[in-house]
This record gives sequence, structure tokens and C-alpha cells, in this order.
Amino acid sequence: MSLPPLLVQSAGSLAAILALAALARWLKLGGHPGLSDEAMLRRAAEEIVDGFEVADFSLAADRTAALVRDPEGRIMLIRLHGSRHVGRIISPLASARAHGNILEVDCREPRFGVTRLELEDAEAWAAAINAVGRGRDA
Amino acid sequence: MPDLNPTQYAVPLFVVAVLAEMIWAKLRAPQAYEPKDTLVSLSFGLGSTIAGALLGGFAVAVFLKAYEYRIFDFGPEWWAVWWAWPVCFVLDDLKYYWVHRAGHRIRWMWASHVNHHSSQHYNLSTALRQTWTGPLTFGFLFAVPLVLLGFHPAMIAICGGFNLIYQFWIHTEAIKRMPAWFEAVMNTPSHHRVHHATNPRYLDTNYAGVFIVWDKMFGTFTPEVDDEKIRYGIVKQLGSFNLLWAVFHEWIGILTDVWRAPWKHKLSYLLREPGWSHDGSRETSDMIRAKWQARSGGPVAPQATSVADRNAIAGGAEAA
Ligand SMILES: [Zn+2]
Ligand SMILES: [Zn+2]
Repeated sequence: MSLPPLLVQSAGSLAAILALAALARWLKLGGHPGLSDEAMLRRAAEEIVDGFEVADFSLAADRTAALVRDPEGRIMLIRLHGSRHVGRIISPLASARAHGNILEVDCREPRFGVTRLELEDAEAWAAAINAVGRGRDA
Repeated sequence: MPDLNPTQYAVPLFVVAVLAEMIWAKLRAPQAYEPKDTLVSLSFGLGSTIAGALLGGFAVAVFLKAYEYRIFDFGPEWWAVWWAWPVCFVLDDLKYYWVHRAGHRIRWMWASHVNHHSSQHYNLSTALRQTWTGPLTFGFLFAVPLVLLGFHPAMIAICGGFNLIYQFWIHTEAIKRMPAWFEAVMNTPSHHRVHHATNPRYLDTNYAGVFIVWDKMFGTFTPEVDDEKIRYGIVKQLGSFNLLWAVFHEWIGILTDVWRAPWKHKLSYLLREPGWSHDGSRETSDMIRAKWQARSGGPVAPQATSVADRNAIAGGAEAA
């Protein structure tokens, strides 16, 4: 009995893929030092949206995410993604909820997920995020 | 034309090279690899081969039909005409340049090619991050002129395979620069890092496959500058390691936009450049670069923009 060559090749490739991904994990490749300080946030924001200036920021306690605001009042969420970071300018679709020090930000974007941040000023950020697009911050 | 492809024989070589680069990363740059990203990129490679084998038949049929109308005939032993091989390879690479350029400037084709760009990493596994949906674009039509010239579809497929194999090794940060003469003629890690970068100065440049000379000829070449950190990926990073989302996100985006747009703009969401919107709510690469130039006084727009566009940008910068 012979299997179709495509199937045999694919099975072989799949085995190699899993082995390489496991090796990457075993070698402890990747990892992120965390969002460390204001300088790093400035660089990250500037990378995410060219020219974005950070006037005000709040870094989550575990340093996996942050909120930054530019002089025009635009808010950007920055969070770790593997060994890199990603970010989004908060749009009118986004929403946020604060429970004490915990802030949950939902950018309402498929697969981007809900980001949890532990912040001193969670309530204020929630209010600011929910106000985006309602003309209050214009 | 995926079946007549030398790439499948190169797979063991790919595996060994990725392994070697991982060890380099362990010693020099652990963040060059991210296990989840590697898994997604390599799965892209496998899925691409399968999709090609299942859906590539249509392209083969078109080529074989077109071959009946060839202008020059290399005879029944076309494979024995030795000089036809290098000529075919060079012309196929020229074809690659234009398919690739279209792949970045026409959203319908970008929806497929974005698969290759959506990793925020740049390593040998990124090279294997190949599209699953290529057969859903019309990219294969770019090869029809070569078939009409008389090159057998199998010859073109084999040249295309070697072209792809060549492009494998340039997806690395482990090599800084090749010797100057090599950098002048060939596509290199340095030139292709620029292509994968989202820094405004680099957007939509260096489309070359094997020979960088095409970019220099057609005005899309940008050299890598040493004092600027490269940010890899796409302008709006996915922020997800979900394989199926990575495969289809731009197709879903197109469908959503076409559905919502007013009738007279529907086609533009399919055929215009990525980032175009009828209400100006998004940014194209040209807009991002123009803003960056106005802000930073950076060098003149890459040659990709026409003289007219450059004048417009300069004018805008003065007015601002
Ligand atoms: Zn590309
Ligand atoms: Zn590439």
C-alpha cells in the first residue's frame, strides 16, 4: 500500500516544524524584558504610530502593558506580544471597565483580545477611553 | 506551478539552516526567535505547499494552453537548449519583481502576500512564511508573457523554485553586509531587511527576488541605514499568533470594506493600494512616508513615487 507523496511529505514537514518550534522553546528563545520605563514607552509608541508623542502615560504594575496619551488627547494601548510589543490607538469602538486597580481594555478588534492592566488610576483611564469619540476630548 | 518545484528537495537544508540560526540566536540574540511565531511561520510554509498542490492546477492549465501560442519554439528538447535556462531565470526574476511590486500595491494581491510580512520577526523561519491564498490572486498571469515567448512552463517553474530557494538565506539578521560588489547586484539580507521593515523610510521598497538591479532600474531601491533600528512586520501588527487569522485577516478586511463601502468605491477597496480608504480614515504607505518626511525633513521620497508625487510632497512640506 502506498500513500500519496503529498501526504508523506506533509507529515514529514509537520514533524520537522513541531521539532523546530519545540527546540526554540527549549532553547528559551524569545522572552521580553517588559516595558521598562518612559523612554521605552516613547520608543514603542513612536514605532506603533510614526510621530506619536507621549505626553502622559501609565504603566501596568507587571509591565506587560501601558496606556499613553499624546498632546492632542489620543490614547494608545501598548502591550507585549511574544518578544515584541503591539499597540492600537483607542478608537470610538473601544471600551474599558475598571474594578478597583484593574482596568480591562477591549479594542473590539478580532483576535487582538482584551488587555488587563493593574494601574493606580484605572478609573480615570476607563473614563477617558469610554469618552473617545463622544466629542468630550476634542 | 508548484509541483515541478525544486523547493521540496531543499526542505532538509531549510531545517538544518533554521536550526543553525536558532543556535546563533541563543548565543547572540535570543529575541530574534519567538517560539509561537516560529510555529506560525513554519505552518505557513507547509500549508502553502499543500494549497499550491491542490489549487495550482488551474495555473498549470492556463500556462499549457498559452504555450500552444508561443512565438519562439525551442523544439521538443527545449530543456537541452542550455542558454535558455539562464535567460529564463533572469526574465523570471524580472517577472518576480513586478508580481511582488503588485503584491504590495494592489490590495487584492496584498491580501495574499501579507502572509509573508505579518511576522514581527526576521529570521530564516520568516522566509518559509509563504501564502496559502496565492492561487486566489491573478499573480500567475504575470508569467504568461514568458510562456508566450516560448519558455516551457516547467522551465519557468524550475527557475521560480531556485529563485525562492535563493531568497531563503537572505531572511536573517545574522549577516550584516555582503561584499560591496555582491550588494550592488544581488538581493541580500541587508536589502531584504529593508523590504520587511515598516519604518516609514523603508515602506514599499526593495521588491527584488534575486537581483537587486531591478529596484535600482525601476526606482524602488532604498539602502539600509545603520543607525536606525528596524521594526519588522506590517503597519498594523496583528497582535495574535492565531494561524488562521494570520492567513485570512486581509481577505476578511477586504470583504468587510467592500460590503460597507458606497457602490462607487467598492472596487477601489479591492484594487487600490493597502491602507486606501474613500473617506481618508486610514493611511497608505505613501501617506505615512510623506508625514514622516514633513516631520523629520527626511530624504526625498523613495524613487517609487513619481516626480509629480514628490513635488506634491515637497509642496505639502513647505506649506506645513
Ligand atoms: Zn513583500
Ligand atoms: Zn521576505
